[in-house]
Amino acid sequence: MPPDATVRLFGPAREAAGTAALRWPVPPEGLAARDLVHALARAHPRLAPTLRVSRFLLNDELLTRLARRVRPGDEFAVHPPYGGG
Amino acid sequence: MASIRLSPRRLSCAAACAELEGPGLGGMVVFAGRVRPDRSRVGRVAALDYDVHLAPAARALRDLARLAERRYGARRIVLWHRVGRVTTGEISVIVGAACPHRAEAFAAARFLIDELKATVPIWKAERGRPARRPRRPPSRERARGSG
Repeated sequence: MPPDATVRLFGPAREAAGTAALRWPVPPEGLAARDLVHALARAHPRLAPTLRVSRFLLNDELLTRLARRVRPGDEFAVHPPYGGG
Repeated sequence: MASIRLSPRRLSCAAACAELEGPGLGGMVVFAGRVRPDRSRVGRVAALDYDVHLAPAARALRDLARLAERRYGARRIVLWHRVGRVTTGEISVIVGAACPHRAEAFAAARFLIDELKATVPIWKAERGRPARRPRRPPSRERARGSG
């Protein structure tokens, strides 16, 4: 099991951070999604405004509670408001 | 029956119409969205880059198709969206619905495009034309009409 989680950034989040994906170290017991979002905002201040209006997915499932823990090997996705078409 | 496609390949209205063929389907509506050369903060828009979270987007499109089948009785559905760069004038999205009657087909197609924009994880970013190089001012000799 890899020691990191993968953070995937889409749309405006990708543009703000300048990358589509980040490897993020998480402890074996995991990290609350809320704490991961705060850490992302601290590490990438240009991403912070987008994070405030985004939804989050853990392993492709929409997170309804940010208390859920992100563990090593998980994929955490940042979804800013959608705008296809 | 739904045809769902998330792909960098060009989209064709004729191909969408062919997908919607079926016995007893008296109403068929196809909507195609094209990239406009609007003015924006990037200057004149030359293209849109579409970013898609593929697995959740495909799932959301399948859910939308099921809803349209249940709500409007749509028997054939097309939900196609481009991924990656789409230049102005090209089709970025096609939705289509075929029903026994026109009212349901129009309603279903309207529902599909509105919900696609609001609920499917797809994002677009505008890309402008490269700025034109400013013209060189005429040299003094040229301005005097020499040569």
